[in-house]
Amino acid sequence: MRYLKLLGVLYRTSIQTDMEYRVDFFTRLVASLLGLLTTIGGLSIAYGYTSTLKDWTYPQVLVLVAVYYLMDGLTEMFIAPNMRNVMSQVREGTLDFVLIKPVNAQFLTSFRTVVIWRAANIVVGILLTLYSVGRLGNHVGLVQALSFAVTMAGGCAVVYSLWLVLVTLTFWFVRVDNIEQIVWQAFEAARYPIEIYPAWLRGGLTYIVPVAFIITIPAQALSGRAHQLPLIVSVVIGGFSLAAATLFWRVGLKNYTGASA
Amino acid sequence: MQYWFNLYRANLKVSIASMLQYRFTILIWAVWGFVGPLISLAVWTAVSAARGGAIVNKASGASFGARDFSAYFLVYMIFSHLMMSWDAFEFAFRIQNGQLSPALLKPVHPIHRDASSNIAFKLTTSAMLLPVWILLFVLLKPNIHLTFESILAIPALLLGGALRYVLQYSLASIAFWTTRVEAINQLYFSLDSFLAGRIAPLALMPLWVVGIATYSPFRAMGSFPVELALGHLPADQILPGFALQIVWLVVAAGLFKALWRSGIRQYSSVGA
Repeated sequence: MRYLKLLGVLYRTSIQTDMEYRVDFFTRLVASLLGLLTTIGGLSIAYGYTSTLKDWTYPQVLVLVAVYYLMDGLTEMFIAPNMRNVMSQVREGTLDFVLIKPVNAQFLTSFRTVVIWRAANIVVGILLTLYSVGRLGNHVGLVQALSFAVTMAGGCAVVYSLWLVLVTLTFWFVRVDNIEQIVWQAFEAARYPIEIYPAWLRGGLTYIVPVAFIITIPAQALSGRAHQLPLIVSVVIGGFSLAAATLFWRVGLKNYTGASA
Repeated sequence: MQYWFNLYRANLKVSIASMLQYRFTILIWAVWGFVGPLISLAVWTAVSAARGGAIVNKASGASFGARDFSAYFLVYMIFSHLMMSWDAFEFAFRIQNGQLSPALLKPVHPIHRDASSNIAFKLTTSAMLLPVWILLFVLLKPNIHLTFESILAIPALLLGGALRYVLQYSLASIAFWTTRVEAINQLYFSLDSFLAGRIAPLALMPLWVVGIATYSPFRAMGSFPVELALGHLPADQILPGFALQIVWLVVAAGLFKALWRSGIRQYSSVGA
């Protein structure tokens, strides 16, 4: 309860700051619509020559692109800004000020800010989800919607854990801001069905940077391609990675010695 | 002449030294160059597998098999690395945090230092990536037949690189007025994806896209050198292609001069 109140205060203050940069939202919206147009244009050229791409039909791939936008937006809005903050705090030694506060350090660092204008990608993602679900026809029922919600939650847990592990690495290596790029490169690849990649790369996208659980499986769930097994796997993987990342963070925190002190 | 030679030599030395200091960092940035072309290659390989053979564009008569796609996107990957430029994306940050001000105090235009660091990046990362490129060629067995005209790809590559550089720097100077450049950069990137043949070989695109692409600067600094190297261009399109590269380079240089001159008056050095 106390944490919920705290979350409200933290988010309220950061939204107040963002309100000063309202035009930002429209620039980002235009940028993300243009990006969407590029992806869809490219896909429709490819689908001009074939009706399915490794068993994915065109409307199903649109669902995939929609999930990509949702996940990208959620990450850039809630997760990435906070994690980048921690990275620079470790480098500058200011993490000390966070650690001495009488609240859970993981909570405070993970939910410090929210960059609301990054919601542009989420808006685009929601619109595209609705549109592509329409294109799918009447394959989408309550079951699909529910399993979509579950797999999305699982995916969010995996994204968060991935970033938490990245941040925890800074306790030992200090500078890892570039590793972030590897995560984004994997995200870029997951804009398309991962079945199109060679086996080794598919393995990397499933087990090393698990975008398969973040993007592919939720898209499969919504388009009715997933069955019970991926659904259970998604929940298990989400819970497991959350637990493992939290444990890793605690170990890392014990190793933190403060940079400047 | 001697002056410029010395200037660039000194700048290159400094840039290369600092690139070697941060080799891991720049390598990760350089890997971004792999992502786009390899994704496109994967998509088109899957399409040709779904069709069970070569893909033929009925409108243009062009035909691509799996190994033709490997050839196109591998050469594209290397060439776009050699022609790349990131100034449009970085320049706005420099204006936002006032870093541009000290650069303006120097007796030479900042574009020269940035151009040196661009060349230094390409030299150092190409040396590092060379083994990976060779490995990819061995693994993907591209269908490449070099002809005499393939040599012409070298001047086309140099012109294309210069054009992309100057054009991006002009685009970057728009930040003097707007400070935020995400939307403009995204527009540039979107046009580049289609018209430069980044997403698909132009020969497989609808004819109206090809029509626009042929006269746009994007093909001139994108797929033109690639098509030249692979011998995809009919002989009567080679000379007009070079002419277009030169015309666009002149236009871009003029645009840059005009934008920079009025932009620099606009500049009020934020944050300094």
